[in-house]
Amino acid sequence: MIENVSSANLISLLIEYEQITREEIRTSTEPSEMIKLKVLGSKSKLSELTRALSKLPKEDRSRVGLVVNQVKTSIESELSKKNTEPVQSRNTFDPTMPGIRPPVGHLHIVSQAIMEITRIFERIGFIRVRHPEVDWDWYAFESLNMPLHHPARDEWETFFIKSQVPNSKSQKNTKHAKFDKMVLTPHTSNGQVREMEKRKLPIRMINIAKCYRRQIDVSHTPMFHQFEGLYVDKNVSIAHLKGVMDFFFTHFYGPGRISRIRPFHFQFTEPSFEIDVSCGACAGGGCRLCKDGWLELGGAGMVHPNVLKAGGIDPEIYSGFAFGWGIERTYMMKSGTSLDDVRLLYSNDVRFLEQF
Amino acid sequence: MNILIPDMWLREFLKTDAKPSDIARCLSLCGPSIERVHGKGNTTVYDIEITGNRPDAMSVSGIARESVAILPRFGFKAQFINDPYILKPIFPNIPDTLPLFLKTDPTLNPRWTSVVFDGVKVGPSDKKIQKYLELSGLRTISNVVDITNYLMHAYGQPAHVFDYDKISGHTMTLRASKKGEILTTLDGKKHTLPGGDIVIEDKTGTLIDLCGIMGGENSSVTNNSKRVILFLQTYNPVSIRRTSMALAQRTEAATLFEKGLDTELVLPVFSIGMRMMGSAAGGRVAGPVTDIYPERKKTRTVVVSKNKILAYIGPIKDTDITTPLESLGFTVRMREERVEVRVPSWRDDVAIDVDIIEEIARIYGYHTIQSALPASAPPNTPIDPMLMWEENIKIRLRDWGYTELLTYSMIAQNEGSAYKILNPLSSDWVYMRTSLKQSVLPVVHENLKNTKDLKVFELSHVYVHKHNDLPKETLHLIVVWSGNRFLEAKGLAEALFDLFGIKYNLPDFGTLEVSSDITVLYLDFAKMVELAQPRKAYTPIPKYPPAIEDLSFEVTGDFRIGPLMDTVKTLHPLIYRVTFLDAYQNFRTIRIEYLDTTKNLSDDVIRKVRQKILDAVREKFSVTLKNV
Repeated sequence: MIENVSSANLISLLIEYEQITREEIRTSTEPSEMIKLKVLGSKSKLSELTRALSKLPKEDRSRVGLVVNQVKTSIESELSKKNTEPVQSRNTFDPTMPGIRPPVGHLHIVSQAIMEITRIFERIGFIRVRHPEVDWDWYAFESLNMPLHHPARDEWETFFIKSQVPNSKSQKNTKHAKFDKMVLTPHTSNGQVREMEKRKLPIRMINIAKCYRRQIDVSHTPMFHQFEGLYVDKNVSIAHLKGVMDFFFTHFYGPGRISRIRPFHFQFTEPSFEIDVSCGACAGGGCRLCKDGWLELGGAGMVHPNVLKAGGIDPEIYSGFAFGWGIERTYMMKSGTSLDDVRLLYSNDVRFLEQF
Repeated sequence: MNILIPDMWLREFLKTDAKPSDIARCLSLCGPSIERVHGKGNTTVYDIEITGNRPDAMSVSGIARESVAILPRFGFKAQFINDPYILKPIFPNIPDTLPLFLKTDPTLNPRWTSVVFDGVKVGPSDKKIQKYLELSGLRTISNVVDITNYLMHAYGQPAHVFDYDKISGHTMTLRASKKGEILTTLDGKKHTLPGGDIVIEDKTGTLIDLCGIMGGENSSVTNNSKRVILFLQTYNPVSIRRTSMALAQRTEAATLFEKGLDTELVLPVFSIGMRMMGSAAGGRVAGPVTDIYPERKKTRTVVVSKNKILAYIGPIKDTDITTPLESLGFTVRMREERVEVRVPSWRDDVAIDVDIIEEIARIYGYHTIQSALPASAPPNTPIDPMLMWEENIKIRLRDWGYTELLTYSMIAQNEGSAYKILNPLSSDWVYMRTSLKQSVLPVVHENLKNTKDLKVFELSHVYVHKHNDLPKETLHLIVVWSGNRFLEAKGLAEALFDLFGIKYNLPDFGTLEVSSDITVLYLDFAKMVELAQPRKAYTPIPKYPPAIEDLSFEVTGDFRIGPLMDTVKTLHPLIYRVTFLDAYQNFRTIRIEYLDTTKNLSDDVIRKVRQKILDAVREKFSVTLKNV
C-alpha cells in the first residue's frame, strides 16, 4: 500500500511503471490475456497507483489523473501491438482446425458430362441445340428412312404416346397429315431432319436431349441422354467424320485411348459405322467389361440421301455425317467410375450424388 | 442379330491360312463384327453380329463369302469353296407315286419348292451334324429335322418338313388367313390369327402351317413318320414380319424371312437338302420336284460417279474399287467418269450409289482412311439463350451449395391433361409429368430418411398439353430444403430474379411453400429466360462517400418490415440505399445510406432527411425510434 505519496512522486512512479511494464510486455512469452491481467488487472501495480490518486490533494488529482490515463493508454497500445503479432498459443489459435469452406454443391454426372461434351464440340464449331423429346413418329423414324413396320425399328424399344389427335380420320388436322403418331424419342436422331428444316446450311449441330427406351437393367434405364452430331456441307467425306471423332476422343478420353470404326448398318446412314473405344480397364487385352479389348460406344455414318431429301436438302449437292451416342455410356467409359449399375444414376440418392 | 458359327464348319466353305483370331480381327474391321471367339481347336466358335440388312450373311456360307473379300486385304489367302450358287441342279423325272396337290399365291410366296420322300427312317443325326448344330446353339432333334436346321444355318435359307400322311387329301393350299382362324404350332402354342397371315390349309380346310414362322403341330414329322415332304420357300417379308410380331412368335426362320431372302438361292439349297434326305435319312424320292417360280428375279445395275466415290473415301486406285466388289460377287464395269455395278441376286440391300460406296469403303478399310477435320468455315449459329441460362443457373446453384437431382420424366398419376404412354414399362411411369414436384418430392422424402440437411434442385422439362399437337416442353426449376428455410428460399429467389434482371415478383413466376418438413421454391424457368433483361447499365461511381446510419425501430405485434423499407427507399432523393440489418426481440434495425452525387452531405441536411423518415414511419406504421 502506498501511503502519503506526493503528486510528483506518484507521477515518477507511474512513468517508471510504464517503462518497466512496456519492456515486460515486449519480452514476455505468456499469453497476452495473462499479461493483460497482470499489468492492468485489479491486482496490478497500476491499479494500486490509481487508488493512491484518492490520497492526493483535490487540486492535484485531475493533473495526475491525466498521467494515469496516458500510462494506461501507452500500456494498452503495447499490448495491442503484441496481440497483432502471430501468437503460438494453443488456447487461441489452432491451425489444424478445419478451414471454413465455401458451400459445396454437386451437379449430376450427366450434367457434368453434357457440359464437357458441349465445350469440346463448340471448339470445332458444333453448336448445341435441343430438339423435342416427345416427337412425331415422322421425325423419329419415317423421315430417317424407316417406314412403318420396318424391322429396323426393332432396334429401338420405343414408348408410344396416346394420340391427342381426334380419332375420326375426317377430323384429322391437315397440318399434321404425316404427324399423327407420337413417340418418346428413342434417340436424338429425330433432331436431324428438324435441324435441316431450319433451312440454314452448312449444319454443324450437337443435339443433346433426354431419350426413352422401354428397357431397364444394369446397363439400361428407361430414360437416358444422347448427344447427336450432324454435319451437312458440300464434299463431306468419311475422313471428316473420323477427324471429328478423333478430336472428341482425344479431348474427352485423353491420349492413350484409341478408337476404331467398324462397318455397321443403320437405315438413316450409308455407309454406317459402329465406333469402338479401347477398353480403359484392361488397356486392350480383353476383360469382363469389354469385347476383346473394345467397348462399343455407338453409331455413326454418312447421312443417307433419303434423310437429306426428307429434310429438303439435295443429296446430289450436299452430303453429311451424323453420330449419336449415349451420354451415360460415353461418360462411364471415360472415368472408370467403377459404376456397375447405370440405374444408380437415377436413384437420386444424395449420398451417391454428392460423390461427384 | 447374333449367330454362332463353328470354325470347322466355316472352313467347309473357306480355304484360308488365317487363324481364327485373324479371321475375327479382320472381319470385325471390314465386315460383320465378330464379338467373341469361344473355345479352341475343333470347338472354336465365332459369335458374330450381323446387321438386319444382310440376311445373305446370316449363314456359314455367307460369312465365308465375306471372308474371301476381306482376308486378302490383310495378306491372307482365302478361297470360297462349295458356293451353293454354282450348283445348277437338274432333277431326274421320277414317276409320281405319292401325289401332292398344290396351290399357291405368288404375291405371298414368290417361290415354292417341294418334293415327297418315301421310306424315311427317323433317328438321330450323325455325329458331325450333331456337333455342328450344338456348337451353333441349335437343338438336335432327329436326322430329318436336323437337316432343315443344317440348311438354314449353312445357307441362310429356312427349310421345313411335313409328314405326308398327316396332310388330309395330300392337298396344300397356300393363302392369306382370315381373322380369327386358329392354328397350333409345333411348339404346342395355340394362335388365333390376326388375319392376312400366310398359311397353308389341307383338303379339309384345316391349317397345317404358319408359313415362314413355324410349322403346324398337326403336320409335323415325328419318330414314326415314313413319308416326308421337303419344303423350301420364300415369302413376302412384310407379311411374315407382321404375323410374327402380332403373335410374338419370333423364330429364327421368321427373322430371316422378314428381311427378304433371295429366291435364286432356294433351288440350290433345295437340291442339297434332297441329297441329305437320301444320305442321312434313307429317303427315296417319290415324285417329281415341284418348283413354282412364276416371276424370275430381275438383276439390278447401280451406277456410281467416280467423283462421289473419291469424295467419300479419298483418292483410291481403280483396283481398290473393282477387287472388293468382284470378290463380293458384284460385276463391275469401269467407265470414264462412272462405275456400273451389277448387283448379285443375294444383295437386295444394295440399291443406290452410296450402297456401292459402302461396299468399296469397308473392304478398302475404314481404318486406312486418314482422318481430317472439316476445313470449311464453321456456321454462324447463335447460342440458344435457354441452353445458356440453364447451364449458368445450374453452375450457380452448385456453387451456392445445392445438389442437382435428375429424375425420370415419367410419373405414375395423371394430374390434369398429361400425355399418356401407351405401352408403359411399369405402373410408376405412365404419364409425362406436368410439374417437377411430381417426381422430385417423392425423391426428397426418400432422402430425408438418411439425412436431416438437404438442399437439392432439379432444372428439367415438364410437358404441357397443347391441343392436337406435341406437348410444349418447357424448363421448370424446383429447389427443395429440409425444414423451414423460408428466408433462404426467398433469398435464393431474389438472387435469381436479380440475375435475370427481373423485378422480384414471385407470384408471376412461381411459388414458395413451407410445409412441416420441407421448403419448396418452384419457378417457371423458361418464362424467366424469355423475360430476362440481364444487360447491366453503368452508373458512375459516386465521387463523395455516402453517409451511413443505422436506425433501430421499436415495433409491435404483426409488424412487417417490407412495406416500411419500400416507403423509406422512395422518401427522398438523397436516400441512396436501404438495407435490412437485424431483427432482435421487438426491434428492427435498418441501415440508411445517404448520398449526394454532387457534394459532401452536411449534418444539417441529413438531420432533415432523417426527420422525414421518422415522421413518415410514425405516421404510416406507428413505429418509433428505439430509445437509446
